[in-house]
Amino acid sequence: MNMQTTNQPIGRMTVAETALVEAFGAQFGELPGNGAVAGTRDRLLDDLKKAGLPTRRIEAWHYTDLKTLLRTVPEAAPVSAIDPLAPLVEGSVVLSVLQGDADDGASADGIEIAHFKDKLADGSAVAGLTALDRDDAIGRINGSFVRDGFAISVPANAELEEPIELQVLHAGGQIHTRFPVSFGAASKATIIERHRSVTDDAALVSSISDIVLEDGAEITWIILQSQGAADTHLGQIRVKLGTNAKLKLFVVNAGGKLVRQELRIDVEGEGADLTLRGVNLLGGEGHTDVTLVLGHNVPHTNSTEIIRSVVFDRASGAFQGMIRVAPDAQKTDAKMACNTLLLSDNGEFSAKPELEIFADDVVCGHGATVADIDRNHLFYMMARGVPENKARAMLVHAFVAEIVEELEDEKLVEALEGVISAWLERHA
Amino acid sequence: MLEIKNLHARIAEDGTEIIRGLNLTVKPGEIAAIMGPNGSGKSTLSYILSGREDYEVTEGDILYNGESILELDPAERAAKGIFLAFQYPVEIPGVATMQFLKVAMNEQRKARGEAELTTPDFIRRVKDAAEKLKIDQAMLRRPLNVGFSGGEKKRAEILQMALLEPKLCVLDETDSGLDIDALKIVADGVNALKSPDRAVIVITHYQRLLDYIVPDSVHVLYKGQIIRSGDKALALELEENGYADIIEEAA
Amino acid sequence: MPAVQETVDQVRRIDIDQYKYGFETVIEVDKAPKGLSEEIIRFISAKKQEPDWMLEWRLDAYRRWLTMEEPTWARVDYPKIDFNDLYYYAAPKKFGGPKSLDEVDPELLKTYEKLGIPLKEQEILAGVEKPRVAVDAVFDSVSVVTTFKEELKKAGVIFMSISEAIREHPDLVRKYLGSVVPASDNFYATLNSAVFTDGSFVFVPKGVRCPMELSTYFRINEKNTGQFERTLIIAEEGAYVSYLEGCTAPQRDENQLHAAVVELVALDDAEIKYSTVQNWFPGDAEGKGGIYNFVTKRGDCRGARSKISWTQVETGSAITWKYPSCILRGDDSRGEFYSIAVSNGHQQIDSGTKMIHLGKNTSSRIISKGISAGKSNNTYRGQVSIHRRAENARNFTNCDSLLIGDKCGAHTVPYIDVKNASAQVEHEATTSKISDDQKFYVMQRGIPEEEAIALIVNGFVKDVIQELPMEFAVEAQKLIGISLEGSVG
Repeated sequence: MNMQTTNQPIGRMTVAETALVEAFGAQFGELPGNGAVAGTRDRLLDDLKKAGLPTRRIEAWHYTDLKTLLRTVPEAAPVSAIDPLAPLVEGSVVLSVLQGDADDGASADGIEIAHFKDKLADGSAVAGLTALDRDDAIGRINGSFVRDGFAISVPANAELEEPIELQVLHAGGQIHTRFPVSFGAASKATIIERHRSVTDDAALVSSISDIVLEDGAEITWIILQSQGAADTHLGQIRVKLGTNAKLKLFVVNAGGKLVRQELRIDVEGEGADLTLRGVNLLGGEGHTDVTLVLGHNVPHTNSTEIIRSVVFDRASGAFQGMIRVAPDAQKTDAKMACNTLLLSDNGEFSAKPELEIFADDVVCGHGATVADIDRNHLFYMMARGVPENKARAMLVHAFVAEIVEELEDEKLVEALEGVISAWLERHA
Repeated sequence: MLEIKNLHARIAEDGTEIIRGLNLTVKPGEIAAIMGPNGSGKSTLSYILSGREDYEVTEGDILYNGESILELDPAERAAKGIFLAFQYPVEIPGVATMQFLKVAMNEQRKARGEAELTTPDFIRRVKDAAEKLKIDQAMLRRPLNVGFSGGEKKRAEILQMALLEPKLCVLDETDSGLDIDALKIVADGVNALKSPDRAVIVITHYQRLLDYIVPDSVHVLYKGQIIRSGDKALALELEENGYADIIEEAA
Repeated sequence: MPAVQETVDQVRRIDIDQYKYGFETVIEVDKAPKGLSEEIIRFISAKKQEPDWMLEWRLDAYRRWLTMEEPTWARVDYPKIDFNDLYYYAAPKKFGGPKSLDEVDPELLKTYEKLGIPLKEQEILAGVEKPRVAVDAVFDSVSVVTTFKEELKKAGVIFMSISEAIREHPDLVRKYLGSVVPASDNFYATLNSAVFTDGSFVFVPKGVRCPMELSTYFRINEKNTGQFERTLIIAEEGAYVSYLEGCTAPQRDENQLHAAVVELVALDDAEIKYSTVQNWFPGDAEGKGGIYNFVTKRGDCRGARSKISWTQVETGSAITWKYPSCILRGDDSRGEFYSIAVSNGHQQIDSGTKMIHLGKNTSSRIISKGISAGKSNNTYRGQVSIHRRAENARNFTNCDSLLIGDKCGAHTVPYIDVKNASAQVEHEATTSKISDDQKFYVMQRGIPEEEAIALIVNGFVKDVIQELPMEFAVEAQKLIGISLEGSVG
């Protein structure tokens, strides 16, 4: 909490800010979009220029001073040949975006898939190119620079048998992607949004998914971020939940140097239900910030949020979780927990679980803990002959895997546990 | 097998002395019962034997097969064959029971220089042991001890004991919270493990358990010392007259 | 539960517009001209016959304040304050510095009598059933009297107004003033450093357990007057002191400003217990008037094994901006914060604490109970910070909010920052309304709704109430009941 007040000097632009402005100038001519899109891009960049990158004085960026942390912007790298990876879950429909460009051959039965760049070209995407509020730096950056992605529409009542994997791969440079996805009434689907670097070259990635769940849709959406150790990842998911819609949103962070994952969720239909689970595997020198702004805007909605983080090395992490219950949103039931295992004296973790409540007939709560491994657990396991290192590793794994197991799909659970095990083996 | 000599121990955090000059010898094949009123140091003794670091030994020694174990951590002691059946087994969410059993069994084998179990062999052993203790397979699919009833937890402890085949079994108030049927199952499980090279220390408050697990020796623990030793008759005497007489006598 | 019955009786008697302490004392006053300038600061300093260093300290603060901006991060909303439209000094005219009770203006004595504050030592001595409390009474800008001074002196305890202390114990004041809340700390604290007019000074020497409760009673009487009090409490090695603070103001249409600074210093093995019952005028039912309460309170657990405990019952003020905090510098030191914040009508509360863990084996505990009713907004804002070198730090935080009615807001904003792996930090918060089941159960036993609510609320805040000294606890329970009047139905 910052209780100091000093004048914020309106200084010169930072190196990264200058680089962004220059990159925009250099790319502007070739960025896809009609006149309206070009105008919007221009305006968003202008707003970014005026506001600058956010500092810790902006409450929403309290733990991630982007102005200081984003030192440079890597050069836009030429499109190089990148091969798609095998999907996380066997049998998934893979829609790949390689070095910022959506794969031409992508298709899937029974759903409408379009290239986002075409939506930019015909101007139909312009309404989505917005900043959500005056502090929405990701909305501004992505709106200014976005090149491609997929616009997906799952028809009403469709039940997709296999997951769809949005595979966003890069080899460094500047990558700005967008995924507007609408799920028709009563549709069922699993989407895996996977971000990954295939080289050690630094990248600046921004990616926004705008998702709408129509009434009664039941969706599982997984974000798996495993960027490289030099990458900046600015992710945002904008969600609207309709009446009786159910969303399970899983966010796994397992990479990146500077990561911000913003979850902007509006529960807008009665009977809607959100299950948010987050796993942060933090190691090396990275900084990872998960920021949730969840609006319970109508009566009779539920949500539960659990964020589990483990911190090794010199990593730092933050979770800001704001639950806002609107006036008259009676009978809201919202519970949030943020638990962290801080396993290194050089690491740090900050939590800011926030409740903002304007309706009285609600049950809302949050809990946050930061601690080391439970000594009783450790003793029990050692008393059974499990050596300390192994017992610790098992307990750390269990701490995060417990969350993943809530996904009932066995293949998904196995795949994500594999990601966790592999990561822990490298870092623990 | 076990020789405790003039043991003094205290709580590491605040220095409260709990064990004050305790002597006890347990031979291979022996079933020794340790009884005593609340707060006499019974559970503390079980924790010190298994190496919990919340307690500090300030004087004396614990010899196991002639060697001091004070410098060993809990896992090393377990690998040497010391098993503690906890009074309150902790719930460990996220750790699958089967996985845990397998790791524990194999780590102990590894420490003893034995080959690891194959998966089919492991599963067969667990299945057999579970059947004998009337443990439902569904229970084994849950995370370790999570959501187990009091009786289920105690049975799961005995299951682990059967699988790990320890040499020195310490049962800490294993009878507490058990109804008579469950008590019989648990006692049968313990009796089935009786062998000439295995010793059992039964820590209990009441003599009831000793009707089913018949001890060779009975020791009364009070204020961190053994104040009286005897045979099975001593337990019956305690049942009849309570601890007051013996405590007075010792004072 | 006689306290509850009493609460209900009081509630019945008093309408929400009838703030119990809303009367005005008509008395001749000595005022500085309106506005804020170096001249005004020189005037205040001269009135108080301060040494030069004190004037310089004030002027430095003032110059710095001119460069600062009002903070905006709190969830409070109020029209811009014109700091030049206030009086910064007002004192009763027949006042020549605190003296014996016989010389105090009888009008003033009547005021404190009406407020229920015991200023007459003899009376207190006569009453055997009541524990004795030494009182420092601050009226607008000045301390009018301090009781039991002589008796405390025998024990080695210094208890006097800070103005007196600056004259009589300049070395002590100079050593500690601003050492916990630096003059440049924040907008309001810096303003206070420039213009503070009075407040209490307590010094408990090494090894002394203060023989009675110490108490200060603040009263803002004058129109358009800001009250800027400054309190400094020092407990040397092994010392103990319990200090109580109470506040009221007349009922007025205009807003009055109160910007206080409280500094506590606890050396090795010392303990300071600081309790507040804040009942400034909260404004009327339409949200007109009321006190703007911008307070910086901070305790420094400077010594090993020292302990500072804040307990507050906040029922008054139109706006409350207040975060009594602890800096846990000494190894094995402990900080505690117990708070009840009740808001009704149009009140806005943004309050909480900071626990800054710097030393090894430091521990802190935060219990906060917020109750919002009417059209009020009630925010808990707190920070628990475990620094890199703070091995084995422990914190437990529990903050619960209760909503009464659907036009109010309850907000919880905790900041938890941990940089040491051996730390154990636990935070939990809940927000709910009074349980229908509980209310039904109580009413089914024949207890009317309003009393049922008072009863349940008293249960809700019990953990904090029991931290208060006894006489304060009863008063606090009554106040909570009164503050919630009109919130039912």
